[in-house]
Amino acid sequence: MVHLHILAASLICLLYCSPVVNARQAIAASRFNRDVRPILSAACFQCHGPDEHKRKADLRLDTAEGIERAFSGGRLADSEAWRRILSTDETERMPPVDSQRKISVEELKVLRDWSEQGAEWEGHWAFIAPQKPAMPRDDVVEPFANDHPIDRFIDRRLRAEGLQRSPEADRERLVRRVTFDLTGLPPTLEKIDDFLEDQSSNAYERVVDRLLASNHFGERMALAWLDAARYGDTSVFHGDGPRDMWAWRDWVINAYNDNKPFDNFTIEQLAGDLIPEATVEQRIASAFNRNNATTDEGGAIAEEFRVEYAVDRVKTTSMVWLGLTMECAQCHEHKYDPISQEEYYRFYSYFNQAADPGMQRRTGNTAPTADVPNYQAKAELADIRQELRRTQADLDVRRRNAETDFWKWVAEAEADKSRWQQAHGNMLAHFCLDEGEGNTVKDSVDLNRQGTIHGQPHWTSGIVGGGLRCAKEDFVDLGNVADFERTAAFSYGGWLKPAENPGGAVIARMNVENSHRGYDLYLAEGKIMIHLSHHWPNNAIKVVSTDQLVQDKWQHVLITYDGSSKAAGVKIYVDGVLWNQKIERDQLTKSIRTNVPLYLGRRNSSSPFHGELDDIRIYARQLTANEAKSIAEQSRFRPFLTNSAVDRTAADIEHLRMYYLSHRDEEYQRIDANYANLKTRETEAAQPRGNVMVMGDVPETRMTYVLQRGNYASPQKDRPVTPGVPAALSPLPSDAPANRLGLARWLVAPDHPLTARVTVNRYWMMLFGTGLVASVEDFGSQSEWPSHPDLLDWLAVDFVESGWNVKRMIKQLVMSAVYRQSSRVTDTLLKGNPANRLLARGSRFRLQGEFIRDNALATSGLLIDTIGGPSVKPYQPDGLWNAVSIDTGLRFTQDHGEKLYRRSMYTYWKRSAPPPSMAIFDAPSREKCTIRRSRTNTPLQALVTLNDPQFVEAARAFAQRVITSGGTTPARQITTAYRMATGSRPKLAVLNVLVQAYRTELAIFQAVPDRADALLKVGESPRDETIDASQHAAMTIVTSMILNLDETLMRG
Amino acid sequence: MNPLDEHRLLLTRRLLLTSGNKALGGAALASLLGENIFAAATAPGAQQAPAAPHFTPRAKRVIYLFMAGGPSHIDTFDHHPKIHEYHGQELPASVRMGQRITGMTSRQSSFPIVASMFKFQRYGQHGTWVSDALPYTAGVVDDICIVKSIHTEAINHDPAITYINTGVQQPGKPSMGAWVSYGLGSPNQDLPAYIVMISRGPGGKQALYERLWGAGFLPSRHQGVKLRRSSDPVLYLQDPAGVDRQMRRRMLDGIAEINSQHYNDFGDPETQTRISQYEMAFRMQASVPELVDLSDEPEATFNLYGPDSKKPGTFAHNAIIARRLAERGVPFMQLFHRGWDQHSNLPKDLRGQCQGIDQPAAALVQDLKQRGMLDETLVVWGGEFGRTIYAQGELTKDNHGRDHHGRCFTVWMAGGGVKPGFEFGKTDDHSYNIVDRPVHIRDLNATILQTLGIDHNRLTFKFQGLDQRLTGVEPTRVVHEILA
Repeated sequence: MVHLHILAASLICLLYCSPVVNARQAIAASRFNRDVRPILSAACFQCHGPDEHKRKADLRLDTAEGIERAFSGGRLADSEAWRRILSTDETERMPPVDSQRKISVEELKVLRDWSEQGAEWEGHWAFIAPQKPAMPRDDVVEPFANDHPIDRFIDRRLRAEGLQRSPEADRERLVRRVTFDLTGLPPTLEKIDDFLEDQSSNAYERVVDRLLASNHFGERMALAWLDAARYGDTSVFHGDGPRDMWAWRDWVINAYNDNKPFDNFTIEQLAGDLIPEATVEQRIASAFNRNNATTDEGGAIAEEFRVEYAVDRVKTTSMVWLGLTMECAQCHEHKYDPISQEEYYRFYSYFNQAADPGMQRRTGNTAPTADVPNYQAKAELADIRQELRRTQADLDVRRRNAETDFWKWVAEAEADKSRWQQAHGNMLAHFCLDEGEGNTVKDSVDLNRQGTIHGQPHWTSGIVGGGLRCAKEDFVDLGNVADFERTAAFSYGGWLKPAENPGGAVIARMNVENSHRGYDLYLAEGKIMIHLSHHWPNNAIKVVSTDQLVQDKWQHVLITYDGSSKAAGVKIYVDGVLWNQKIERDQLTKSIRTNVPLYLGRRNSSSPFHGELDDIRIYARQLTANEAKSIAEQSRFRPFLTNSAVDRTAADIEHLRMYYLSHRDEEYQRIDANYANLKTRETEAAQPRGNVMVMGDVPETRMTYVLQRGNYASPQKDRPVTPGVPAALSPLPSDAPANRLGLARWLVAPDHPLTARVTVNRYWMMLFGTGLVASVEDFGSQSEWPSHPDLLDWLAVDFVESGWNVKRMIKQLVMSAVYRQSSRVTDTLLKGNPANRLLARGSRFRLQGEFIRDNALATSGLLIDTIGGPSVKPYQPDGLWNAVSIDTGLRFTQDHGEKLYRRSMYTYWKRSAPPPSMAIFDAPSREKCTIRRSRTNTPLQALVTLNDPQFVEAARAFAQRVITSGGTTPARQITTAYRMATGSRPKLAVLNVLVQAYRTELAIFQAVPDRADALLKVGESPRDETIDASQHAAMTIVTSMILNLDETLMRG
Repeated sequence: MNPLDEHRLLLTRRLLLTSGNKALGGAALASLLGENIFAAATAPGAQQAPAAPHFTPRAKRVIYLFMAGGPSHIDTFDHHPKIHEYHGQELPASVRMGQRITGMTSRQSSFPIVASMFKFQRYGQHGTWVSDALPYTAGVVDDICIVKSIHTEAINHDPAITYINTGVQQPGKPSMGAWVSYGLGSPNQDLPAYIVMISRGPGGKQALYERLWGAGFLPSRHQGVKLRRSSDPVLYLQDPAGVDRQMRRRMLDGIAEINSQHYNDFGDPETQTRISQYEMAFRMQASVPELVDLSDEPEATFNLYGPDSKKPGTFAHNAIIARRLAERGVPFMQLFHRGWDQHSNLPKDLRGQCQGIDQPAAALVQDLKQRGMLDETLVVWGGEFGRTIYAQGELTKDNHGRDHHGRCFTVWMAGGGVKPGFEFGKTDDHSYNIVDRPVHIRDLNATILQTLGIDHNRLTFKFQGLDQRLTGVEPTRVVHEILA
């Protein structure tokens, strides 16, 4: 003890003037959880905590037994812990000198007080289910006496500290505060005036109800959730390519607007896919856990990343719902919280069942996915289908009426047989594929030549005589035929009927192993790709059709090439019609000859094609367009017209009739065109609006093992685990399924100690700037003691009792007098309450980046406030994407028109290069779950709001708005602008500054009109040219100043 | 910050605010306050109560020349003449020892050893091997310290480059530059503490990510500020068309006057801070263009840094800007140079890649030395990993590629209190495994911090209940042997 006093003496003054200590003493004596546990956790738990592997002297200080053993029930003289803490012997002293840990004098005093009171242990408060505390009854501070529970709890503490609440904020500031807090947008002048004029006693409540009913409420709440859910429009790792997850964002907005109870909100996002007979919306909700970062890196080891995804899902889920750093137990027992490594892997095992693979796509969505219904098109679809039925009837009528004309045409066609029989010279090879059996195919040009079918021969009826189907790995080896050089003209093609997911090489003489040397006819997602390659991709031609072949339909494809070594020399004909094509490579200067054989159905030796083939032809010359058309027709009708009429079957005749109707009969063609048009509209209307990656589990349970030091490659096969939750928390409901659905239900069970507390604390932070527990993301042993523990528990229990009613909870918070206080800082208030944790005044903080931009857009009238949909790309400086993208290949392409003025939450979120004007205002990259943004004040922010074209344009539009409708004089216009941006009327002195600025700049712009014109050109929205340019420019300077005022940027 | 310091600062702040002295500027106020209690009110450049240094620094600043993509140690510095005897032979299992390799080569049927196709010679007082791809670097070999035994667990770009820059393989943690900004702040009121520049060579370019210079959970003002080759070298630096400096000055004066009135009414110190931040923005608009305008450099500078150095956006140009930043006191500069990923065509590609950086990197060392700044500036050259001794793809007489290799790679450092003309660490004859004095990338990072006077164990920030640090919780050691 002597030692303690010596240490303390030099600092005694500081200790005893400390307001912190005074405050504590004023309320209660030292308590284990509030005061002592944080000290022990930081100084001792490393070696005397939950981690049994690191535990020294078999002593743990996070249990009742350990505390009793170390502190001897507070008898300091008997306490070994005291002796060691105070020891002057460096070899004995605790914490050890080399541990870099220390117990401060102030902390020693806390320990002493607590010991003197009996050194009692408590379980960590956050792991014990909250009980609804008694409401403080007699503590209500005048002049705001009311029955609001929040006020009572806050007032009790204030009174204990000798403080009192501030008066209510003025109405202008109050309505701006609550409008931003609940919608993320400023109130319009009309809404401000409504509130100022509303004399009814519930005027404020009516404002709150209106805001909660606004669809912008869902947007505002969703925005906070996007950080937690690590939402982004790109995949993060390596390529950071695009993905489509906006449908999930829409789901969140709708869920908040529909006031979906938080328990369902939780269950559907964590396990919507596992809900029995899940709706498509529930599956879309589960996209929450597909927002994680994924890789496409060529060298990546898939299992390493599959494990990483599960690890990220554990981290996100535990941080968002439990407020726990569960990830600390991935590699070893948790140092501070009672979570063993085995318990970590039990929790992990829920997510270890996910079906999405470790290696995911660089561009687009990776399965499992869900189609996003097109709700708007549903009604339209019924109309289209009715119209289709009518048109079909018209077609049938015409068909009957055309019979005479048809037979006339047949007679004419037979008379002109020679046209159909016309040979096409220089055919090099012709595989009719009419064999119908065996595993060889014959060339009708050179009868000695034949090809060999590898795999299973599947003979089909084909389109001209028989045909051949390629499935699985089947292909035909046609031998050393068609060995063309790049300088030779040639043509090749035939009839194709692509099967599902059309992809692969149809015809190819190409050596994949030798830099893809050769040529081919290749399908990818239905598009026709032609490669002529010496060394892929540096010395090659590649052209791609802009249209796609249709699945399961016979189509004639013919490729012609003129020997020019240019991509423009390649032509693609489909059913005799020249198709549009895109040139992707056009650099061929060396030989394309290769010694591998010509194949049907694959390259040598990859890229199998699935589908049917018929009538394959190869020509050693470039066919003309007419020839291409003629082959497409001839090959189909030759058998009918060359055979005598008596040999024709009914099916043959029907075939001819359909050809006649659709190619020769104008009346039928007209109705048919209309029918086709309706069909297209039907397909479009039935099209989903896109898709979204959702969760799904593998069909057979994947075994989960403890991973040695968290390493994916070191599963400890002797330590298998089953799904489960940490024992220190509430138990799983007995009927909980052993999957994510069971986990989600556990999180929202009424007796769960954490979920409700963590959630209401997040709402509190959103509205008051700081959580009741300041460490919103950590409720574990290392968390900060709640400023108002009773209030936190009361709110948590109330939230559960209300059926997890989110809007009700938000309303409750903003209706409190505590929320409505003025944020004016007085000396007295600052004194006992520097960071305002006691809430003796309203909170005042900078608007988040999205709101600052939205405020500028809203006040200027540019804002397009439609809700939901895909992300948009408004202005951003050039070159930010290609500065970081692979081979600088991915470039930002700015949108135009309305997309420049959508709310900031819809701005395209590329996670390796986030939108700079948001990042500068502390938006996280969203690569990982973030619960709390930092809130800084930097010069780079000033540069954004002063110089970003988005803000300069907003100032220009804002100026135009007030000039045309904000009053008749500059002073009135400026007053209007000031009110729109800050919510308040400018004081006279402030107005004078701005009016003077207007006059000064007006003179400048009048003297140099070019400067006005230059300024007014910023941004793509049109300017009202009837406004005098100098006046417009001068007012733009003033509105820019207004958009940069402290009062505009802050919410107070 | 310990509780007593925290209390002292709270006290100071209260004193200032209650003494009626409301005229005290926010920046001045912020300068009296520490990181943790009043994070919102401090600013880059503002002198803060620093979290560091912990002891007398050797270096005042770091210029990190980051070679993104994984430069081949085998073809630059890590030369074993014996390797020519093994050329074309299969890599022995005794060398590979079953260690994992990337998905790009793991299915290769053969792993033929490729001796470097570059010519190596010994240079300097100690006969240091340097390849003929780096003639200028060879010329300063007596000024640099070459560490050949750096290693990392990561074998693919994204995890590896994230690891060496932020201490972990996944996103979310602050970069080393952000840690230094947090620890030391910037002595220059007009420039941020951490500046990043990006250039590229002819080789295949792997992606970079903002997280590599991000602030992670540190206050976001510590994130690296990119200097770009653009009329806006810092984003949004330029005033809009039609607005000149005088007009901007008048706008800011008006804004400041209104904000001051608001402060008098509302008393929020944040308002005062805002006024000073707008002032700093105004000063940056002058100081940054002046910084990147090299017209006041004599011709000799451009001769020294080489022919590219007049071209904005090149590594050579950036190297001159880095020296100018050093002169202005900025403590952490990082020059990312892209294109070091030679999976194929290595002999040709790597030479081109080296050409882009060799002369300017050597020039930077010489330039700092002749200005008497080298002893207080640490220059670091290195990438995220090395490359394999075996060929990726086809090995021909004069062509081959190399895959990623994390088991060993080479980094050089100069100035800033490291030993000049010194080599450290050894690899085996296959440049595959380390045989002497391994230096993990954590050790490298701890050593870099050490030169700045920062104890990597003590530069911490509390987040999620943990005292987070750049080097994490795995054992880490400062490589004292290379410190002078």
